[in-house]
Amino acid sequence: MTSLVDVPASAQTATRPSAPRRRRGQTLPFVLLLLGPSAVLILVFIVLPAVYGLWLSLTNTQLTGFAARDPKFVGLDNYTYLLTSADFLNSLGQTGTFLLFSAIIGQTVLGMVAAILLSRPWIRGKGFFGAAVLMPMVVPEVVASLTWASVLATSPEGTLNRVTNAFGGEPTAWLQTAPMLAIILVNIWRGLAFAMIMFQAALEDVPAELIEAARVDGARAVQVFRHVTLPLIRGPVFLYLLLTTISTVGVFGLVYFLTRGGPGGQTRIAAIYIYERALQFSQVGIGSAASIILLVIVLVLGAVYVRLAKVEV
Amino acid sequence: MTTLDSRTAAPVLNVRRRRRLRPVDVAQRTIGYVLIVLLALFCLVPFAWVVLSAVDADAGATVQIPAFSFDNFIRFFTASGTPLLLINSLVIAIASTALNLALGIAGGYALSRFAFPGRRLFMFGILLIRVIPAPATIVALYLIMVNLGLANTLHGLIIVQAVSGLPVTLWLMKGTVDAVPVELEEAAWTDGNTRLQAVRRIVLPLIGPGLGAAAMLMFMGSWGDFLTPLVMLQNQDLYPLAIGLFRAFSERNVIDWGLLAASAVIYVLPPAVLYMLVRKHLLKSSLGGALKG
Repeated sequence: MTSLVDVPASAQTATRPSAPRRRRGQTLPFVLLLLGPSAVLILVFIVLPAVYGLWLSLTNTQLTGFAARDPKFVGLDNYTYLLTSADFLNSLGQTGTFLLFSAIIGQTVLGMVAAILLSRPWIRGKGFFGAAVLMPMVVPEVVASLTWASVLATSPEGTLNRVTNAFGGEPTAWLQTAPMLAIILVNIWRGLAFAMIMFQAALEDVPAELIEAARVDGARAVQVFRHVTLPLIRGPVFLYLLLTTISTVGVFGLVYFLTRGGPGGQTRIAAIYIYERALQFSQVGIGSAASIILLVIVLVLGAVYVRLAKVEV
Repeated sequence: MTTLDSRTAAPVLNVRRRRRLRPVDVAQRTIGYVLIVLLALFCLVPFAWVVLSAVDADAGATVQIPAFSFDNFIRFFTASGTPLLLINSLVIAIASTALNLALGIAGGYALSRFAFPGRRLFMFGILLIRVIPAPATIVALYLIMVNLGLANTLHGLIIVQAVSGLPVTLWLMKGTVDAVPVELEEAAWTDGNTRLQAVRRIVLPLIGPGLGAAAMLMFMGSWGDFLTPLVMLQNQDLYPLAIGLFRAFSERNVIDWGLLAASAVIYVLPPAVLYMLVRKHLLKSSLGGALKG
């Protein structure tokens, strides 16, 4: 997730075209020597798994047993199985709920609030607040999950139970009674900082004169945001939605650590469904078909964002 | 960039501060402070348990006033399995970062300095790769690793992690090498250096900051990775901290909360220290003036 931020930044610094200094006859051996190993490794360990996954999804490959030795081509059987399987459709629905409420609504709104507040000149302690919001993003996934295992603990001493108790709530076993809500909350917590960073960078590019002019014309803060700021940062907002969609669909450890997809499959998001099918039930073909369906959905969503953004990407 | 922009914006807005605050402004600021404090609490409070329990001799699953002791840390380093987790994590993260940077410097240099057919296609191809969520390819990757005899080995995991970070490193290193004026290198050639010597004497010393950023991203990515080692490693002696912590949390009947919290603190430290070191180094970065005189 973090790494994605840096790609556009470095792309910008790379505007100066490097001059071709030598004739091609001399260049090609150099390029092969320097870039060849990287290219081959990317091909074998990133591109090949994607292509091989597509092939596996058309077979009945198993990790163990008879079909492991002699996998057969089964056409689109895995896809028809998945698209008529209530388990898988549920899993897709849960992925959608998780994505919509944690990333597209939760992280975006709270990240925008944090970015706007930290861009106010009158806020003191920007460094502290910024660092506080950043903390959940920089710790390893497992530590993030562990902290929430304690917050969501069933006993009345669990941190969240103490908070709700202060407002007169009953102690609740959050991961049992409201597992989806719990993992949505955890994912908002984890991804908030990334949204804030993206929006801070975008807000800085909005000319202060435009805001001032609107204020002088008597627009309220909310109106300024709605009619001046938001249209100007439309591109970065949709870029953020694209990036967070990719990373949220890829969330695995955070949820697996806390719920393992349970209870009763209530938090079995697609990433966990794939893992369970392919590596625990050893149905590699079905797991791979689920991967491909997930990938197609991400690509479609990505295309929609790019379309809505109406910007050159 | 950030600091510069906010500085230019500040004078315009500062004019407002001189005026007496209207009630609307006071209300807005109060709401603003309440919101940001709540957000900061939301982000920080979950960490309270880890920090307090790590130094608590009888830690439980929830936040409590600790009976202060470093016992948990001593047990981490003296217990039979736990030091090995830390060593494995260090081996995996350091080796994959080194491999990633070696490939990234060479590839980034080639992408920056040579014009060759398919260069743009390659750059955008590896950018597009990032659209694929990791869980979508992990199964096929695992089978490929099994066929190559690399599954359930540390070097297999190291290669996979180094390559998964390679697209980002290549982009970063290309940008960084682009920022080194090619004139400096040409001057070195005319002084009788070979291409390789020129790279070692001129380019490498100047790409420190970009290299530091790439190293930090790669190290933190590898250090925090959970899915890849979970799928690739079955041998308990090869587990990194991420998997060790997960197993200790989910597969024991009686969870040793104090040890778990201490392990988490130890697990967080290396990337935190690296971040401090690299950040200081990053501030020193300047290529300006290299062409002057």
